[in-house]
Amino acid sequence: MSDQDILVLFKNGQRDKAFKKLYRLYPRIEKLILSKGGSKADASDVFQEALIILNRNLQTSNFKLTSSFYTYLYSVSRFVWSDLQRSLTKQHLQELNAQEVQVFQDVIEEKKYQLAEHAFLEIGKRCQHLLQLFYHKAMSFKEIANVMQFKSAKIAKNQKYKCLQKAKDIYKTKIKTVQY
Amino acid sequence: MKTHTQYIELINDYLNNTLSQKAQTEFESKLQGDVEFNEIYQEHIIFLNGLNRIQIKDDILKAKRAYRTEQWLKISGISIIVIGALVMLYTLVFNSSDMEPTSKNSDFNTIILDSTSSKTIEKQQPLDLSEEKTDTSKTASQIDVNYTTTSQHLRFGSTQSTTTEITKRAQIIRLNTQSDTIIKCKEGTVLRITKGSFIHPYSQKPVTGTIDLRLTEYYKLSDILMANLSTVSNGNQLETGGMLHIEAKQNDADLKLKPDASIEISFPTSNKKDGMQLFSGEWKDENINWTLSNIEQLEHLDISKELIEEHIEVPFNVVEVVPTYPGCEAEDNESRKKCTTEAISNFIRRKFNTDVGLGLGLTGRQRILSIFKIDQEGKIVFIQSRAAHPRLSEEADRVIALLPQMSPGMQRGKPVTVPYSLPIFFEIESGQSSGELYGTIGRDTVSSSTSVVSADEISLKSVEMDTIYTERRGMVELIREVMHDKNFPVDSQFIDEWNQYKKQKLIRNYGENNTKRFILRKPLFELEGGKFKILEDDSVTRGGHVIRKPWDESRIPTTTRVMNLRPKQFFAAGTEVLTTDEFEARLGDATDTSITSKDANYYVLKSSKLGWINCDRFINGRTKRIKYKLKIKNAEGAQISMVFKSYNSILPSWYTNGVYDFQTVGANESIVLVAIQRKDGKLYYDLVETKTEANPQLDFDFKEVSLEELKSELEKLNGVIK
Repeated sequence: MSDQDILVLFKNGQRDKAFKKLYRLYPRIEKLILSKGGSKADASDVFQEALIILNRNLQTSNFKLTSSFYTYLYSVSRFVWSDLQRSLTKQHLQELNAQEVQVFQDVIEEKKYQLAEHAFLEIGKRCQHLLQLFYHKAMSFKEIANVMQFKSAKIAKNQKYKCLQKAKDIYKTKIKTVQY
Repeated sequence: MKTHTQYIELINDYLNNTLSQKAQTEFESKLQGDVEFNEIYQEHIIFLNGLNRIQIKDDILKAKRAYRTEQWLKISGISIIVIGALVMLYTLVFNSSDMEPTSKNSDFNTIILDSTSSKTIEKQQPLDLSEEKTDTSKTASQIDVNYTTTSQHLRFGSTQSTTTEITKRAQIIRLNTQSDTIIKCKEGTVLRITKGSFIHPYSQKPVTGTIDLRLTEYYKLSDILMANLSTVSNGNQLETGGMLHIEAKQNDADLKLKPDASIEISFPTSNKKDGMQLFSGEWKDENINWTLSNIEQLEHLDISKELIEEHIEVPFNVVEVVPTYPGCEAEDNESRKKCTTEAISNFIRRKFNTDVGLGLGLTGRQRILSIFKIDQEGKIVFIQSRAAHPRLSEEADRVIALLPQMSPGMQRGKPVTVPYSLPIFFEIESGQSSGELYGTIGRDTVSSSTSVVSADEISLKSVEMDTIYTERRGMVELIREVMHDKNFPVDSQFIDEWNQYKKQKLIRNYGENNTKRFILRKPLFELEGGKFKILEDDSVTRGGHVIRKPWDESRIPTTTRVMNLRPKQFFAAGTEVLTTDEFEARLGDATDTSITSKDANYYVLKSSKLGWINCDRFINGRTKRIKYKLKIKNAEGAQISMVFKSYNSILPSWYTNGVYDFQTVGANESIVLVAIQRKDGKLYYDLVETKTEANPQLDFDFKEVSLEELKSELEKLNGVIK
C-alpha cells in the first residue's frame, strides 16, 4: 500500500483504516525511541501523538505532504520525544530548517490541545458525555435533553455551558502551571 | 457571563458555517478588533481540538488493535504451518518405522523384542528401523527379530530407548486377537495371551483383527524412578520384581480384558525371591498405590508375618498407633496424632534459628523439606532435608535431631519405623545485616540489645549471652553456678531436663538468698548419657546427695561461650541405625558385611560437612543441562558422588549395569568425582577433577585409605569449594 493509497483513505474519511496501515511504520519509530532511552510505552505514546499531528495537518487544506509518511512521522516523533525530554536547546532550535520549524510548531501547538484534552477528561463523566454529544455527534439540545434526561433543552444548554466553562477553567490553570 | 455564552454560541455557529454572509464578515472583523473576543475564540478552538483528540485517539487505538491482531494472526499462522509441517514430517518418519503386520492366520506366534544390537540372540534378521533421534550420542537403535517357533511373518514396530528420554516409551506390539500369542518383551517379560481375550469396553463384544499392545517395562531403578513409581501397597512397603504397564488399543480405542480371560505374565528375575505376587497399581495424587490383584498369582506366598513387618515402615498417617511425643499420651489415636504433629511443629518453630538464613542471598519465604524416621525405639533417625541453601537444610537437620525420644509407632502390636515428612517455612526479611553465623565464640561485647530473648534463643543464637539480661538468662548462670563449671554446656534442652529433675525431686533447693543450697541426688550422676559428672570434693551426704552451694559471681566469669550443640548423628548400615562410633568400628571390621560402599560413602560425605543437595534442585539452573553417565570398569561396588566446585553441593549416582548415572547436570561445571569403595573392611578412594560434559571418559585409580585420611582428603575438598 503506497502513501498515495493511505492519503485516499484519509480523504474518504476511513481514518481508522489509514491509521492501521500507518502502524506498519511503528516498529521503526519504536526503535528510534528505544535508542533514545525511552521505553516501549513511551514509544507507543509518541507514535500516537505523531499520528494525531499528522491527522490534524491532513485536515487543514494548505498542508502538503512533501515527503513519505515515514519521513514525516519520524521527524514528528523525534520532536515529540525531544520535547518530552526537554532536551531541545536554543542552539538546536536555531539550526532547524523551515520544514523542521513547521513540525516543531505543530508539536508545540498540539501540546495545548493535549492540555485541553486532559482538562476535558477531568470534568466528570456526565459533563464529558454531554459535550461529546454536542460537539461530536452534533445533537441538538433537545435530543441531548432526551438522551441525558434533562427536563428541557434549556437546562441541557445551560448545563453544557457550565461544563464547557469548567473545562476551560481547568485548562487555564493547567497552562499556567506548565508555563511557570 | 451572558455575553460569554452568546459569544460561544456565535463561535459555534461560525465554525459550523451557519452564519449568513453578513454575520460572517461581521464576526471576522470583530475577531480582528475585539481582543477579548479573539481570546475566547482561540480558547474555544483549542478546546475543540482537544475534544477532537479524543476521537482521533479512539481511532488510533482501534487501528493499533487491528494492526496487532493482524501481526498476531500472521505469526500464529506461520507457526501453525511450521508445526503442521513438523508433525507431518514426524508422522512420516514414525510411520515408516511402524509397519503393518502381515500376519494372516497364525495359531501361535512368539515374538521377541530386542532393541540393543549388543544383545543379539542367535540368528537375526535385522530390520532397518533405525529411528532418527535428536540425541546423537545414542546410536540409532536397531530392532532384531527372532522367530523361535516358525510361523507366519509377523512384523512389528518398536519404539525404544529408555535412557535418552525422561519417560520411558512404550513398546508397541501388534498382535492378532484370533490366535494365542506369546510375547517376549525386550527386558524379559513374557506375556501369554489367549485368543479372544479382549473386548470393547462399551459393547462388551470380543475384539477381532489386530490390536496394538502398548507395553512399558520398569525393571531398572532408573526407569522406576523416572516414571515416579514407588512400591507401596496401602502404606506397606513392597519389594518389586518389576513393574509393567500394559494398554491394549484398537484404532485408538481402549480395550478391556474379558472378565474371565487373563494374561499370563512372567517377570524375569536374576535372583529369585519368594513371595512375589501380582499387584495392580492405581495412581493416587502423585504416587502409585499397589493392591494385590486377584488375577493370577504366579507363586504362592510362603512368608511369615514377622518377616514382613520386621523392616516395615508405616507412614505417619497410616500407622495404627502413631509415635507419641512426650506429653501427648492420650487414649485416642487421632488426638495423639494431632498433639504429636503440633508438638513437633512447635518444637521446630522454637528451636529453629532463622538467623542462619541471613547473608545467604535469600529473601522472602523459605521452604525446607525435611524427612526423618521415628524408629522402633522412638528415636529420630535418617534425617534428610532439602532447602534452597545447604545452610538451611543443615539447620533443619540440627533442629530435628534435637527432638526428644518419642514412644514408637505401633502396627499390629509391634513397634515399627515411621517416616515423617516435615515442611518448614519461614521468612527472611531483606535488608537485614548478617553476621558470622556459625562457630562464633564469645565476643567480648555486643552493643546493648533491647530485645528480650528467651533462653531458647540464647542457647541457639550466636549472640553473647551475658549482654542480654532476662529471667531465663539467670537460669543458665544458675546452673553453671551450681555445677561449679563456667563452661558447663547449657542449652534449652538441658534447662528442660533440669526442670524435669526438679519436678522429680532429683534436684532440690533450699535456703534463702545467701544460704542457698542445692541438693543433687545420686541417680543424676548415674544417668546414661547425662551431663552430671561432677563428683569432686563435694561431700556426699546420706542417701547419695551432693550438696552444692552456688558460687557467687566472682567465681563464675561473665563472659560465656555460645553453644550450638549438635547432637550425635546416626548412620545406616543396611536397615540398622548406628552412631558414628559404632559405624566406624564396623567399617574397619573386615568380617562385617553389613556396611556397603554406599553406606560408607554416605557416612563419609555426610560427616565431611559438604553441602548435600537432591538431584532435582538444579532443574531450573542457569546453564544447559546434559545427561552425565560414567562407564567405569574397575569400580565395582563403588559409590561415586559428584561434588560441584561452585555450588557447594553433591549429587549422588545410580549404578545400573556398569554405568554410573548422575541423571542430568548442568553442562561445563567444574566438578570433582569422589569414588569410595569398601572392600573387606578397607576403604578405597580416588577423586578426579573434571568438567561436566557429555560422554565423559575417565578411570579411577583406587588407593587404600584409612577413614581419617579419607576425611582429611574431603576436608581439602572443602577448601576447593567456594
